[in-house]
Order: sequence, then C-alpha cells, then structure tokens
Amino acid sequence: MLRNRMIQFFLIYLAGILFLLSVKYALNLSDYVIPAPMEIGLTAKAVGIRYVDDVLNTVVIAVLGHIISIILAFSVGILGGQKSWAGALVKTTAYNIQAYPIVAVAPLIFILLGDGLLSRLIISVMICYFPLLLSVMGVLSEPIESIEHFYRVTRKLTWKLQVKIRIFENISTLSTVIVGSATMAMVGTIVAEFVASNAGIGYSIRIALYQSDMAKILIALFWIGICTSGYLTGIELIGNSVHKRLKAV
Amino acid sequence: MRIACKNLTYQYPRTDACIFNNLSCEFPRPGFHALFGQSGVGKTTLARILSGMIPVSGEFIDHTDVQTVLYTHNTERLPGWSGVGSMIESVTPVDFRKKMRKLIDAFGLTPVLESRFDHLSLGQKNRVNLTRYLLQEFDMLIMDESLANVDESMRGKIIGTIKQWFPEKCFVYISHNMVEVSRFCDHIVVVRGAHRVPQAVAITGMNDFGSAPAAPLKGMEQIMLELAHAS
Repeated sequence: MLRNRMIQFFLIYLAGILFLLSVKYALNLSDYVIPAPMEIGLTAKAVGIRYVDDVLNTVVIAVLGHIISIILAFSVGILGGQKSWAGALVKTTAYNIQAYPIVAVAPLIFILLGDGLLSRLIISVMICYFPLLLSVMGVLSEPIESIEHFYRVTRKLTWKLQVKIRIFENISTLSTVIVGSATMAMVGTIVAEFVASNAGIGYSIRIALYQSDMAKILIALFWIGICTSGYLTGIELIGNSVHKRLKAV
Repeated sequence: MRIACKNLTYQYPRTDACIFNNLSCEFPRPGFHALFGQSGVGKTTLARILSGMIPVSGEFIDHTDVQTVLYTHNTERLPGWSGVGSMIESVTPVDFRKKMRKLIDAFGLTPVLESRFDHLSLGQKNRVNLTRYLLQEFDMLIMDESLANVDESMRGKIIGTIKQWFPEKCFVYISHNMVEVSRFCDHIVVVRGAHRVPQAVAITGMNDFGSAPAAPLKGMEQIMLELAHAS
C-alpha cells in the first residue's frame, strides 16, 4: 500500500519536474525562473534535512488537527443526524458555514492569537473539519431502514444504537472520508503556516517564495508528498484493520 | 381480538393512482391468517396501514383488543457486529429466554448462532428475523413474505410451531404461495385491484394444523380454485 502510493507520488513528481524542465528549455528560460537540474540537486543537499524537520513539524500539527476534527465532526454530526430541532439547527448551520471559504478567516485568527502553534492548529482544524462534518452528518442522518425497522417498531431504538448501526453500516465510506480529510488537514496546516507563522514547511515555502527560489519550493513539495503519503497510508492501514476486525466471523 | 378496516380509501401522497377504493376486510380472531393477492395490489401497503406505519384516519381501522401490531418483512437485516445468537438474546425480554431457546431449536438455528447475519443463507436470515419478532410483546404480527427462501418442510414446521405455541396471537401471513396459504391459513383475505368491487374478499382455508376455532374442512383444490378465481 505504502509502496504503491510512493511509486505514484514519485511518478507524478518526476512528471512535474520533467514538464518544468521541458518548458524551461523550450522557452529558453533563465535559471532564475526555473532552476537547472544541477541547482535543484545542490539545493536539496543544502536544505533537504532542514525541510524534513519542517515537514515533520507540519505533519505533527496536521495529525493533531485531524484528530480534533474527527472528534468534533463525529460529536456534532451525531447531534446533526438526529431528527430534532437541535439536529435541524446544527445541520442548517453546518451547511451554511461550510459554504464560506474558511481559509479567508485565517488572518483574523492570526491577528487575534498571534502566529504560534495554536493559530496553526485552529486553521488546520477549521479547514479539515467542515467537509468532514458534512460527510459524517450525511451518513448519520440516513436511516438504515432494513435494520432500524425492528428496533423502531419494538421501541428499542435508542440514539446510541442508531448511531452505532449507521456507523457500522457505513464504515467503508467513513474510513474513505477520514483518509480524504487527512489531506485537508495537511493543506490547512500548510496554508496556516504560509499565511502567517514562524515554523513548519508552509513557513519555509513562504520564505522561498520571497526569495523567488523555485528549487527550494520543489524540494519542499517533494518532502510534503513523501510525508503525506506515509500519513495517508498509516490511516488506511488503521481503517482496514478496524474494518477487518468488525466484519470478522 | 379483531382488527378490521372499513371503507378504506387510500392513495400515496403526490400520486393520482388510487390503491384502495372503499376496501373493507377483517381478521376476526386469533390464529394464522393470510393476506393474498397479485403483485402490486397493495398487500404491503395494507399491512403497513394496519400496523400504523402509514397513518390514516382512525375511523377506517378498528382495533378491538389489539394493542401492539408488529410488521416484519423478508428484507430486514440484523446488525453485523456480533453473532446472531447474541443479537437475538440482546432484544429478548428476560421472561422470554426459555421460549427463545425452544424457538431457536425448533427453527433449526442452533448451528448458526455464532455466525454473523451477513454470512447466513437467505432462508436462515428469514428464520432468524422471524424468531426475534416472535420473542417480542405483540398481539398481532404481520409477516410479509417472512418465510421466503425457507425450504418447504421447514416452512411447514415453522408455521406449525407458531400455531401451536402462540394460539392467542393473531398472525397475518403475506405470501404468493397459493398452496401454502390454502393449507395453513384460517382466514384468507384476497386483495384485488382498486377497480374491483368488492376490493377484498375473504375465503376460509384448510387450517391443516388446526388452531381454534377450527375452520370448516374443505378440499384444498376447492380453496385454491376460490383463491385463483377471487384474485
């Protein structure tokens, strides 16, 4: 699983580099615009290890943000999935809020909280949380009539049992959604670091952008891809193991 | 104990097609009765109305000494997070535990108690589902094709067990199997298209296993002929 994901990433990364180089040589662009392969290699040697540290720093925040998002999304999703006025209110609010581009709120958070860990974490959570919430709420508000009927007519259907049935029946969908939202958590953290932070790979990309150093950005993208692949594979493995355990005879 | 509907007229919301047009029928006493008719005439809809799942005005339906009507159908499933034995036990009232063990044995479910529901055959699934319904408090149980995919000898055994162990309850069995309905059911309500007058007619079955009160004995061929003619 990890190997396949890594191979896919290497192929895409290589294709991107080849495309840039072909554009560079076709249009005769200077090394200042698109660096030569030798310069990319030298930059990798110079900043590679520091960027690994930066990416790992970002991944830690992303994982933390992802976990908080999952807990929040399930808590609010359970409430939003209920057929009550509170459920309807939560559902409507969530749909309205997610329609707003949350990333645009990021500067407000930095103004209020400064550029520390908390701001990065909050933005990561906000970007990851809303798409996750909508998926979880969609799953939890959809009745599994073929199972729930018995419990409903015999008055044994508690909200806990209803949630358990719906989660169990949609475990594949939910694990796919959780894996998908891991990318969102990573994106959210990098965006937060890029907007205003003093740590993480997003911060390093911002500095490289100010220096117009594409080689550094390419090295950063390489490590982001490697670490994200590792993280996604880890979540998929956890999801598969949970799935197998639940479905086992 | 009696459940009846009188001059019931019903059409699904946002449709023009009338399903029931002045339909009147009754299940007048405890026993094993049937709701019979061609596909699409509204047997399931009538069952859902009788069980209260589809609300209609109270004056059309008359429940006399009937508090709880349960409706079960053959596409129901049990949650898959544990074996069917523990799933049945978890929904069985403590007072019915002895009956539970006897029913499981009578329905041939002992070998599959540890298996998850999804791993059972269709016939086993239907037997498991029916078992858990029989272990609930009810006055009337409507069984919508609940014994589909159960082999014939086991089906006869199950119906016999139900009639013997639950003589005070009312069962309404929905089936397309004319032989089975004729042979096992006391009182057969045949539902017909909305344009037919009357839309429902009642026929007395063979009641082969004999739950009280006994139906007059008729030849099975004659009953089947009446059923075919009525539907």
